[in-house]
Amino acid sequence: MNTKLLIVVALLLTCAPVHASGDDFSSVVKMIETFYRVKHEGVPFLAKAGMKVATTAARIKGGEAKRIAEAGSIKLAVFENQAFAGDFTKFRASLNGALNDTWMPLIQTLSAKNAEQNYIYLRNAGDKYNVLVINIEERDATVVQVTVSGKNLALLLKDPEGTGKSITEEATIIDQE
Amino acid sequence: MKALFRINLILSLLFALPFVVHAQDSRLQLSSLDHLAAKANQTVDVSVDERLMKMASKLFNDKDVDEREVKKLVEGLKGIYVKSFEFETEGQYSAADLQTIRTQLNAPGWTRLVNVTSKKDGNLEVYLLFNGDAVGGLAVLHSDLKEITVVNIVGPVDLDKLAKLEGQFGVPELGIEKTKKNDEQ
Repeated sequence: MNTKLLIVVALLLTCAPVHASGDDFSSVVKMIETFYRVKHEGVPFLAKAGMKVATTAARIKGGEAKRIAEAGSIKLAVFENQAFAGDFTKFRASLNGALNDTWMPLIQTLSAKNAEQNYIYLRNAGDKYNVLVINIEERDATVVQVTVSGKNLALLLKDPEGTGKSITEEATIIDQE
Repeated sequence: MKALFRINLILSLLFALPFVVHAQDSRLQLSSLDHLAAKANQTVDVSVDERLMKMASKLFNDKDVDEREVKKLVEGLKGIYVKSFEFETEGQYSAADLQTIRTQLNAPGWTRLVNVTSKKDGNLEVYLLFNGDAVGGLAVLHSDLKEITVVNIVGPVDLDKLAKLEGQFGVPELGIEKTKKNDEQ
């Protein structure tokens, strides 16, 4: 096998988002699938997302962007071009019911006009912190779980909406270069 | 008989004590507004509870001037809660919705500090909860024809602190600084 190809495969394996199993991340993904009758993207897309993460990390080394998530901590589920029609107040109630025992809700924004929902939850993870960011729009949705340092959690607390958006972008950014 | 009456009285007071203490808690129950989310264009719900406040105060670095300032602001606070609803058209919420909040703010200890009514900016009310001489919490109720915002800060806080918290921890820009200056003039 070509050495370059091997390096790319190795990079993908180390940088690809971890697909959660048997935890709250998976439960949230399942909950979205059940409530909205949608399916999240499979492995090929996640591998692509891994490339995006790797590209972002490379950019960061050049000092062009700031990385929020700890290396290798990203769990990502993406739903593309599907209908997210349903009573979002009911979905929100179910989500809070499922997560509020183990996660601390930080900010939740709902926009009936744009059919958009954003949720950010936090929990302790030893000396670091887990952040769960859920974004649901009319046709797309993203669930991202990352581990962040105390310093980056401070950023999130100071500007929950802005930093939450950065976390989602960091996990899914599409490199146009 | 007298002794029995005394024991009954003491027991009644002991049972009542938790409710008295609860009455001095500055955390408002805002869930009565949740039904408005279905009608609102934009709903924002911020919840920084005591666990998060404690976590936050440890995270900010004393060596950094800005972070030290934020740390000072959040130290001692037990929670920050914000609910905000923006509507496309007028008449989407009722006076009864606001009344559920005002009723709580009519409880003993709460004092209304600011009450500004403006055709352009709507109504702004700021309340402080006094536990004796100490401030135990703060509430801001802002409403206009197409919007309701409630900010509830639990713990020792004043208007200066609130003004500095605006734009941070999900606290919206409420124009408290502007209102304070107008009051001082």
